[in-house]
Amino acid sequence: MNVNELQKIAEIVDTAAKDGNAIAQLSETYELTLEEAYEVQALSMGRRYGRGEMQVGVKMGFTSRAKMVQMGLDDLIWGRLTDKMLVEDGGEIDIADYVHPRVEPELAFLLKRPLYGNMTPFEAMEAVEAIAPAMEIIDSRYENFKFNLPDVVADNSSSSSFVIGNWNRPDQDFSNLGMVMEFDGRPVEIGSTASILGHPTRALVGAARMAAEAGMVLEEGWIILAGGATAAAALSRGLNVRLDAENIGRVNFSTKA
Amino acid sequence: MSEVSDADIQRGAEMLRVAAEKGEPCPPLSSFLPADDLDVGYAVQDANTAYWLEQGRRLVGRKIGLTAKAVQAQLGVDQPDFGMLYADMAYADGAEIPLSRLLQPKIEGEIAFVLGDDLDSDNLTITDVMSAIDYAVAAIEIVDSRVADWKITIMNTIADNASSGLYVLGSEPKALGEFDPRLCGMVIEHAGDPVATGAGAACLGNPLNATLWLAQTMVKAGRPLMAGDTVLSGALGPMVPVNGPGVYELRINGLGSVRANFV
Repeated sequence: MNVNELQKIAEIVDTAAKDGNAIAQLSETYELTLEEAYEVQALSMGRRYGRGEMQVGVKMGFTSRAKMVQMGLDDLIWGRLTDKMLVEDGGEIDIADYVHPRVEPELAFLLKRPLYGNMTPFEAMEAVEAIAPAMEIIDSRYENFKFNLPDVVADNSSSSSFVIGNWNRPDQDFSNLGMVMEFDGRPVEIGSTASILGHPTRALVGAARMAAEAGMVLEEGWIILAGGATAAAALSRGLNVRLDAENIGRVNFSTKA
Repeated sequence: MSEVSDADIQRGAEMLRVAAEKGEPCPPLSSFLPADDLDVGYAVQDANTAYWLEQGRRLVGRKIGLTAKAVQAQLGVDQPDFGMLYADMAYADGAEIPLSRLLQPKIEGEIAFVLGDDLDSDNLTITDVMSAIDYAVAAIEIVDSRVADWKITIMNTIADNASSGLYVLGSEPKALGEFDPRLCGMVIEHAGDPVATGAGAACLGNPLNATLWLAQTMVKAGRPLMAGDTVLSGALGPMVPVNGPGVYELRINGLGSVRANFV
């Protein structure tokens, strides 16, 4: 597929994300390879940078068994995070701005040094300034949240917003932190950071490797979302959404009534 | 309790005992006992408890089941259930567990509380429970069903000693206050994969809540929890089917790890 065609597809997914409108699966019309899907993602996010947004990190996806089961897939994928996607801790979102948003509890890494290429978990952690509890609001732009692998990758791996709690020192054991995500004080998803590839640091190592494969450096100051610790829960209006994470604190946001 | 003859209670109890002894699951008891009657379930369980105690099995504690809201909903109840733990059901960390002792096992990661005091007074509170706990350890509960294909209703599972099988306790006893019972992370790993994950809150919001329910219920049932008793307080995440020999490791953050070694 030539770059003009990819650019055209990028415009379709970008517009859907911008306007919060559902679109048909790209795979119904186009036959994208995984590589082309990442091209579409880069071009689509390039359009957002053109509107003044800035990349502030990456998100990893399909890192938990729960997620793999939910989506029927088993490949690690990644997407780009921008400054405009960041929701303040305690902030509010309007679900009218999304297609069919879901939320999942995550662990976030903050980088103090650039990361690039293949490395050991120890080397990856050497670049980590802090860790924090986080929630990612994922929102597939495809009708009924249905997609295949190239579809979701082209759609920035369903990423749409994220909320980060307080930063904690990274020199602690965060391999099995309990996570309780509540809607209006009632638990809706309960899990552990252990469901992120068995250890969240593996997602960080994966992020450095996959970014390098795409010719990208994970920059100092960037945030890496390690992936969901539980299945995602569908959002509705007028909710207070809170994540309580063992040892590292809380993060919350609400949805407009 | 519905109108049920003692003969039918005894018949149900015997069917379950024979299934356990022969290693061959039996059909659901609901063909002749009311499927949703909790009291009938406990009457059958009691008949077998009396039988086993008479046979010389040593009662060492209780297990709490149905501590997840989702599981309660599946069985159409709004409360947990309990079963008896006997000394011959207990295994130490990593000890070989013969699959021949089990019919259709599944495992769950739990917190076990071991009591240092009796909980035998009326109107027990959470304070009594916290004060009575000597220590906690990570525990793998091996649940099993004597009922073919796990085709259980609430009465069937309660009758069948709350679908209990065997259990394995960790070896790092911790006092309350040394870990976070509500937020502690739980993972079961098998062959390098996290096959189940969860946290303390999955057990009735907090495993101590489940333990209080059990303590109060056992006082009412006339068989109170006593010093030295082990309480398996309920699953912190999904059940994992055991399909053959192999090692399953449970880790609970702050409580250490424990291994079930099926041979």
